[in-house]
Amino acid sequence: MSLTPSLKPLALIGFLSIGFSIAGCSDSGFESNFVYSDGTLSLMREAQDGTKENPGVKTLVDDHFGNPQHLKAWDKMPVDFGGVISTIESVKESERGGQVVTLALEEGTSLPGSIQSLQFITGLGAGRTVGVAEWNAETREATLEASASEKIAEGDSCAIDGGTVLTSGRMLYMRHCGHCHGTSGDGQGPTARYLNPRPRDYRNGVFKFTSTNDMSKVSRDDLQRIIKYGIPGTYMPSFLLMPDEEHHAIGEYVRFLALRGEYERKLVAELSSDFSQAALDSRVKGGEKKAEIVKELSEFLGEDLKESATTLGDDLAEIWSAADGEEAVVIPSVARVPDTPESRRLGRALYLSKTLNCADCHGIDGAGNGPQTIAFEKNPVTNELYQEAGLHDIWDNLNQPRNLQLGMYRGGRRPIDLFARIHAGIKGSRMPSFKNTPHEDIWNIVNYVLSVPFEAEPGGTGIAPSIGESVASPAAVTAPTGN
Amino acid sequence: MKKFWALFFVFWPTVAMYACWIAPSRGWWFPSPPMSRTGVQIDGLFYLILIIVAITFVATQYVLAYALWMGATKDGGSKALFSHGSHKLEIIWTIVPSFILVFISLAQLDVLAEIRVISKFPEKAVKVAEVTARQFEWRIRYPKPGTELTTEPNPGDLYFVNELHVPTGKPVVVNLRTQDVQHAFFSPQLRVKQDAVPGLVIPVWFEIEKVGNFDLVCAELCGWGHYKMKARIVAESQSSVDKYLSKLEAEQDEDGTKSEAVASSEE
Repeated sequence: MSLTPSLKPLALIGFLSIGFSIAGCSDSGFESNFVYSDGTLSLMREAQDGTKENPGVKTLVDDHFGNPQHLKAWDKMPVDFGGVISTIESVKESERGGQVVTLALEEGTSLPGSIQSLQFITGLGAGRTVGVAEWNAETREATLEASASEKIAEGDSCAIDGGTVLTSGRMLYMRHCGHCHGTSGDGQGPTARYLNPRPRDYRNGVFKFTSTNDMSKVSRDDLQRIIKYGIPGTYMPSFLLMPDEEHHAIGEYVRFLALRGEYERKLVAELSSDFSQAALDSRVKGGEKKAEIVKELSEFLGEDLKESATTLGDDLAEIWSAADGEEAVVIPSVARVPDTPESRRLGRALYLSKTLNCADCHGIDGAGNGPQTIAFEKNPVTNELYQEAGLHDIWDNLNQPRNLQLGMYRGGRRPIDLFARIHAGIKGSRMPSFKNTPHEDIWNIVNYVLSVPFEAEPGGTGIAPSIGESVASPAAVTAPTGN
Repeated sequence: MKKFWALFFVFWPTVAMYACWIAPSRGWWFPSPPMSRTGVQIDGLFYLILIIVAITFVATQYVLAYALWMGATKDGGSKALFSHGSHKLEIIWTIVPSFILVFISLAQLDVLAEIRVISKFPEKAVKVAEVTARQFEWRIRYPKPGTELTTEPNPGDLYFVNELHVPTGKPVVVNLRTQDVQHAFFSPQLRVKQDAVPGLVIPVWFEIEKVGNFDLVCAELCGWGHYKMKARIVAESQSSVDKYLSKLEAEQDEDGTKSEAVASSEE
């Protein structure tokens, strides 16, 4: 591990600086870079790069997340960076002049049999990686390499072999995921342009197929599911044969990229109304002097943005950790209604009802060709009509509503998956959340949806002749039974 | 100088034969012994052809070496012998190889028929799954436990990806399809290989004796992910397969209210 330069004065936040070099990659001299979002690039230059005294968006993002060769682990973030955290119990001089530190054993953790390096999080050595020459697991004494000049003190906290999960995650990501999802997780890797649907752009922090409710972020379990089983009907393959540690490392790196993207987005949101390039131009046209605007920006960066950066970090950490909690998961209050023809009939009636209006997008017979697919809708951000007719997601891609006749369900085919799709909607897409619909009704719809591929005729009541009882007359079903 | 070249062209075939001789002990050989019944027969044919070809190789290289050496060591001053060819020799060295080749083609007929001709498939072969290849994974559909596999999906069919469970000790048939481009169902250890063609449903059969995990890789270039389109074939006893399928069924029926986590946190 290479030594890292000391960090800017963001001293209240603990940092791990994880540098690494891989033999093959560094020989070729190839360095990859994270890209900045379009939002960042549309700000005025001083907002992006900062003024003399105060850091701009680019600097803040780089300080907290680093670049691919030199990732920074912001310990506030709910990402498993790898490495056991320990505190220094005592320091003494060894005979050869180096320092010998005794590591405390935290409750519930164990110290490994061998240690290559320690990354110091607090104290005078904060942000530095120090190699360990000798490690005695019984006495818990680590002899630091003689070249280590940092003065380690009692009470300093450090990570043992820290950052391994993140760096191995990065390596795996670049090998398996980067060509579609891009180095920065922007969904614009080299193969992305040939794919439909497009690969996910993580930087909104939004993932479509989750088991969590509509207000929560994606959970770790959801990401692991996607990595392990893929998304049928898209180009996202299954990585089932990979060992579990690799799944975990990739999942954590994806979270890292998503957090970086969201953090950048939120910083830009603070600045874009007053300090974007377009705003600057119109203000200058309106008579203000550029130098004054820059001064205003500098003050804003120094005072307001600095504060909000911390709050933003806290909020992000909170909302992402909450997604892994039990309250975030969509749990039906009743078990699945038995899959009887009656249930499917009710489901069909709800499907056609005016309140739920599923047929508006999914079509009368579930073929995904409802009237919304030929209507022009407005982009909620720019307030302009989209060029193509149909429904779009927050990444501005055209989405076809699911063709239910195919029996292919991207987010999973278990009843709970379909329940979650209806209850929480599909985040980022036009599939809304129906969380106020009674759960029995949702189950009836789920039963109907699961039977659509097997219908004797499209637009039927979801009953195939070979399943269940005889088909009721169509007339009885078309009248909505009300909610 | 002539002797050098004569020896040069004797040296390399000798190296080649030596390399083939030591190859199995160095691991430059089959990935494993054949793990399926037809695999044993296929390997047998391979060795038959290898022996025939090896004998032919040694014989022809010997003749070549002899001719080279004679040419290299014969005194340059003697008169050349003009020959108009030997009709008898030409007949011999046409008929003998033809017989050998016809022999090989007849010897492999029954194995080929067993593998490829549907009417020659074992009668007791059980259709266990439909394997759909797609870029870049293997999607598996098992029939609902207790029912037969049909070409159309049925409600209650079980789905999984990249892991195929088959019972040992009996011949099993897999219906091979593809969702997009050509792929090939190739298991090196089982010596099974069959191209998957868009629009066709191709039955592939094999019988595995021993319990174990085997590789399933794609053997028809299908795109950028072809090299990593790998799955796992898990061969286990019928009861283990049944247990696995019931587990799959339970998971596929998951409605979010049966798990222990929910039961313990009553709202």
